Amino acid sequence: MIEEKKTVPDKPASKAGEGGENPEVFPVNRGYIRRKKFYNNLAICFAVIAFIIGGFPVFHIIYKAFEVGSAYLNWNFVSTLPTGFPIGARGGILNAIVGDVYLIVIASVLSIPLGIGSGLYLSLFGRKRSNYFLKLLNELMIGIPSVVWGIVGFFVFSTATGPGFHLGFSSLAGGLTLGFIMVPIITLLTEQAVNQIPASYIEGALAMGATKWQATHSVIIKAAMGGIFTGILLGVMNIIGQTAPLLFTNYYNTGMPTGVTGPGGAVGDLAMLIFIYIHEPSKILHYKAEAASIVLLAFILALDLGLRLINYLTKRFLL
Amino acid sequence: MAEEKKKDYEIKVDVKNLNFYYGKQHLLKNVNLFFKKNSVCTLLGPSGCGKSTFLRTLNRMNDYTEGARLTGEVIIDGQNIYGKSVDVVELRRNIGMVFQNPNPFPKSIFENVAFGLRIHGIKNKEFIVERVEKCLKYAGLYDEVKDKLAKPAFSLSGGQQQRLCIARAIATNPSILLMDEPTAYLDPVSTSIILDLITTFKKYYTIIIVSHNIQQAGRISDYSGFFLDGELIEFDEAGNFFLRPKDKRTENFITSRY
Repeated sequence: MIEEKKTVPDKPASKAGEGGENPEVFPVNRGYIRRKKFYNNLAICFAVIAFIIGGFPVFHIIYKAFEVGSAYLNWNFVSTLPTGFPIGARGGILNAIVGDVYLIVIASVLSIPLGIGSGLYLSLFGRKRSNYFLKLLNELMIGIPSVVWGIVGFFVFSTATGPGFHLGFSSLAGGLTLGFIMVPIITLLTEQAVNQIPASYIEGALAMGATKWQATHSVIIKAAMGGIFTGILLGVMNIIGQTAPLLFTNYYNTGMPTGVTGPGGAVGDLAMLIFIYIHEPSKILHYKAEAASIVLLAFILALDLGLRLINYLTKRFLL
Repeated sequence: MAEEKKKDYEIKVDVKNLNFYYGKQHLLKNVNLFFKKNSVCTLLGPSGCGKSTFLRTLNRMNDYTEGARLTGEVIIDGQNIYGKSVDVVELRRNIGMVFQNPNPFPKSIFENVAFGLRIHGIKNKEFIVERVEKCLKYAGLYDEVKDKLAKPAFSLSGGQQQRLCIARAIATNPSILLMDEPTAYLDPVSTSIILDLITTFKKYYTIIIVSHNIQQAGRISDYSGFFLDGELIEFDEAGNFFLRPKDKRTENFITSRY
């Protein structure tokens, strides 16, 4: 080395144990300390009250629906088709459960690949400046009222005249419309999930000579799996409660569908069933609507738990 | 550096008039240097001096950075890697890279090392198993992990993860290893293991390390360079560089006056 290191000159080194207490005074503000503790408690109170007010409707709905609807909740209710007069007075809601499965499957087949694809594009492949506008557009799509989707779906899929796919009022038309509602949700969640992955993952893969696609499917998608599943779950939960888009594309069927398009292609749907039953001037149908809402909630809960389980298992055994 | 001196070496990487811009920033200013085959070279400099950027130009990792622009040549084994006919995938297979943060993939220990083989289309199972074992042994990790190869890589300690990344980087049989402050986040024991690895590795690889730890650099390097504000201030054999630096700024840096 060239020369010795100089120690900092203006502070003489003191030995351990030398010197007394730090002579500088810290100005303690007692009033402020009292106030800050008060604000802390106030914030906690506010959070608790907000939770109670926000959570109350959920518990109330579940309680009320159980109170009235539980008399109809039995195996027959979910395993038979509605009969009697007005239709639904006897029998169950099997048509709606089967119809929901149809709609969810069709909507998912369309929206999962499209949503994940566009999410990956936004987070990995697109250019910064255009992505800004695409993201804005995507968020705008999430905000489109569902009745507008219904009308668009009607003109694109269902209408029998003019340009369009002429699918009639059917599960395919309804499912595709619902699918397009799911796409921006899955896109948003996928994009967020991928952006949360440390850049070093993808850099590490690229530095070894992986192409962007290899890095994506072997590293990125697996790491983002949790977020992507959340997106799918949110999307499904969103569409399962939709009625407005179905009004114009599928409406309702009290029986089983005979196909996915054309006459006989329409399916029942739980949200639609509740909507229709509650409009009927019949006490028994009102009670059945309450029971159906319990089934709908259970359906959503089962989906939620199911997707969480899949997520857990993929994380546990695939990664 | 004198031209005649250059001819004595077998040159692996030759950098000529390299300029790198990001937007309006001029990050690398006319860098000229070369790396001898099977040597360890450390690039020193304060934070933000462009040494990491320089390292990333050597395997074209800056390709994906929007707004980045580069002029000049980087010649590896006689070929300009910024030429038109260069296959980036093959280039990166030939250049292993180890990052500052240990960044194992969210996969098992085995799959992390096998990744480099799989992405280059190797499907022969026996070959992969053999190669993974060999690389883990090179990286001095095999004895510690041989019973838990199927466990996630994140179950390892930081130092082990970094050695796993080194094993992963050498799995594709590269001839150059780039290391971006490989010991920055490690404890002294892990650091010393990795420094020992580096000195044994030069038998097979040309190693280029970015560091801001002068003591470590002095311990392992054959050549050293000093970057400041995007300029290469000095590049010389380690003995000369650390004991008889020609430039005042280099001297200030290695005596810790920055």
